[in-house]
Amino acid sequence: MIAKPILEAVLAKAMSTGADFAEIYVERTKENNIVMIDSQIDRIKDSLLSGVGIRIFKGLRCVNASTADLSLEGMLACAGRVADALGESNEEVSIHLTERLFGDIHPIRIVPDTALKSQKADILKEAYFAAKEKSDRISQVSATLLDVDHQILVANSDGLYAQDRQIRTRLAVEAVASKNGENQTGSCSPGRRMGLELFEMIPPRSIGEKAAAQALTMLDADYCKAGTKTVAIENGFGGVIFHEACGHSLEASAVALNQSQFAGKLGQQIANPKVTAVDDGTIPNAWGSINIDDEGTPSKRNVLIENGILKSYLIDKLNGRRMGMESTGSSRRQGYTFAPTSRMTNTFIENGPDKNEDIIASIEDGLYAKEMGGGSVNPLTGAFNFAVREGYIIRNGKICEPVRGASLVGNGKDILMNIDMVGQNLGTGQGMCGASSGSIPTDVGQPLIRVSSITVGGR
Amino acid sequence: MDYKKLKYTIEDAAKNAGITEYEVYYTEYRGMDVSVFASEIKSFNSDESRGICFRCRVNGKIGYASTEWMEEEELRSLPVRALENAALIENTDNDDFYGTGDHYQKAETEIAPLAATGQYIEKALSCQKACYDADSRVSEGTETSAGGYRTVICLFNSNGLDLSAAYGFDLVVTAPVVRDGNDVNAAYSFSIKSLDEIDTAALAKEAVKRSVQKIGAVQQESGKMPVIISNEQVCTMMGAFLSAFSADAAQKGLSLLAGKEGEQIASDCVTLIDDPFYAESPVKMPFDAEGVATFAKTVIDNGKLKTLLHNRKTAKKAGVKTTANASKHSYADTVSISPYCFYIKPGSLSFEELLAEAKDGVYITEFKGLHAGANAVTGDFSIDSEGFTIENGKIGHAVRSFTVAGNFFTLLQNIRTLDDRLLLDSPSGTTVLGAPDLLVDGLSIAGK
Repeated sequence: MIAKPILEAVLAKAMSTGADFAEIYVERTKENNIVMIDSQIDRIKDSLLSGVGIRIFKGLRCVNASTADLSLEGMLACAGRVADALGESNEEVSIHLTERLFGDIHPIRIVPDTALKSQKADILKEAYFAAKEKSDRISQVSATLLDVDHQILVANSDGLYAQDRQIRTRLAVEAVASKNGENQTGSCSPGRRMGLELFEMIPPRSIGEKAAAQALTMLDADYCKAGTKTVAIENGFGGVIFHEACGHSLEASAVALNQSQFAGKLGQQIANPKVTAVDDGTIPNAWGSINIDDEGTPSKRNVLIENGILKSYLIDKLNGRRMGMESTGSSRRQGYTFAPTSRMTNTFIENGPDKNEDIIASIEDGLYAKEMGGGSVNPLTGAFNFAVREGYIIRNGKICEPVRGASLVGNGKDILMNIDMVGQNLGTGQGMCGASSGSIPTDVGQPLIRVSSITVGGR
Repeated sequence: MDYKKLKYTIEDAAKNAGITEYEVYYTEYRGMDVSVFASEIKSFNSDESRGICFRCRVNGKIGYASTEWMEEEELRSLPVRALENAALIENTDNDDFYGTGDHYQKAETEIAPLAATGQYIEKALSCQKACYDADSRVSEGTETSAGGYRTVICLFNSNGLDLSAAYGFDLVVTAPVVRDGNDVNAAYSFSIKSLDEIDTAALAKEAVKRSVQKIGAVQQESGKMPVIISNEQVCTMMGAFLSAFSADAAQKGLSLLAGKEGEQIASDCVTLIDDPFYAESPVKMPFDAEGVATFAKTVIDNGKLKTLLHNRKTAKKAGVKTTANASKHSYADTVSISPYCFYIKPGSLSFEELLAEAKDGVYITEFKGLHAGANAVTGDFSIDSEGFTIENGKIGHAVRSFTVAGNFFTLLQNIRTLDDRLLLDSPSGTTVLGAPDLLVDGLSIAGK
């Protein structure tokens, strides 16, 4: 995207006041967003984001600046701003970049940007009407087809020069079911690091039907009663529980500053021995996959917890300096205006020893969380809160009537120890994870698990 | 490329594409912030960005295209892309683009530039030091940031509109971590003003007080009880349910306030105002994202819903006048709807009198993960919370890990009264939410 001699000059300028490391990140992102609502294609967002972020380190100090001005003068001015913020000294620095090539393990067959827009409209309509026509009680549907072509280039003062092109496609359907002035919603939003061939694997119709079915189920549900219960959490987006309650606390951004409950616990038992958890950015075509991270380090499979023992954190370069540890290829940023930090990619609990039917059968009086909603966590205390989008009462080992308005409230440390049964149907769900370095695509995942005791919020 | 050249390039490209009705929305942003950890600068950021969005109306259909890459060839592609997108749109109930003739309140085109780097650093360091000095239990993890943000918005269209406005503010946020044995607590406090007016000593004192008060928190009892929601958290909640006030959401069946104009939707004590020129607000906007002159309006008047928030499209559909609430969160977004300074009018009680009125209950000072636990379409919420007991009309002890569940629309009806402590939250785009503390009945608390 930008010639090497220019990058070398910009890096040298950024280093000129005594930094020990400089990095330039160049981004060009095409985004297309088609929204259908009221049974019509309502709007299309079609945008190009383009700019550079420049970062320097001196010891543990970090200075970051960004600009949308990609002219040589614009980039040199931006480099000047980071250099000026650091100090007064003047040094001559020379940098030589060498391109590093990484194989792309995420083949794309139908690049969305080159596909006919009418083809995208057809995909969207198939999903939309599958939801709308499911029942008279479906009062509204909104459906969004998103495709992103995110090209990045990372160069740094160690001579690194690397590029990646991340193409992602996602179809999100939200259905509203109504009766007697009351609304309930259902949603389904699968995505992959793929082109439009995603819809050969997941038919658009199935996405719409699933969203509508969930809204209809919840419309007939009563409110969940609050209390402490045994809970079975289903696979797929159920993995958000691990993402929030544990994953964020394993990010070096929290660990390095001693703001995580898992700081200093490497090698210790932090979870039930049935729990093995992994962050893996190398899964072909997965939503959260990356060939290289946003510092140019190749992504890899990081085993975070093995049989309950804490094995690894998720580490970026700057926090690696604080911790005296190497990067795990986990540095990510939404785009050029965000400074990168340690983040997750595809994070999931591995299959365990228990049969799924045994998990349900083991619960006398509890909750089956079939579909989880979003959540948040305080990494300092580990306190979390998740919404249960679709829940059912379990009575005498059987899944019974649906309940709405439930949430799971607890603490990361406790819940990891309380996952006492782990099933065998590992599946993933897609999310956009928000943190200081912006909103990034991540997969969450797990098989069906049992949590022996957790606070269920309701009314 | 300068703005004049950019304008000319777009006008010419639109003409070549055969587009006669178009509008251009352009923003420039400059921001700087520094964050301090322990007694060191942890990070320093300086951002400059700008973006342009072109939209056109062809056969009643609106097409958009936007870019940040200000090269001539790229700019010239915008009308072509927008035209292609318009062809796919099926919704045709759009009004023509706005024209000249409105009287606009004087815009602040000259805002103060960002302060010098050193001034933000000095503010952050002094606030951080004040935190450590305020209490010996303030410890590692304490972080303070100071920053400045400046935005310019320009709009021009083929009907001769040519507008611009700017806003900006400085912000200091501090979050002291207080350790007392194994009990670790953090709270935060912020101040939005121009940098030299921010009193870092007072800010640090307040934040440390909030952290210290949380020491020794116990689990809250379950049950239904009177609840005081702090002004900050009322703002957080309003943010999660904001779309309920949008006429667009209402017309699409996504707001339970649809068709409720003129009805009592909230308790008598609730008056909700949207004021683009509210004196204390850090953001003042003389025109909306469609170029219409903005004005103040009462949305809820003593509990009665007077109007929803409209842009020109929803107003046309509803057969009313626009409330000039067309908005774009980012320049690249399609036109939607949001308020400006949107605040619940404070009452006359003091906070102490509000506590006395509650007598026994809980005072909520923190909602966590509201974005996950609240659904604007249904109004349902179930939120992990923290706060204090209210015992015999006074603040009791700290309580944690309890879930507050209810429905936003029922909550509006169940506000018993409110106090005089109006707080304005930090801006999100051109929206600034404001509220006093509210005393609410009928909420379910799930604790131990």
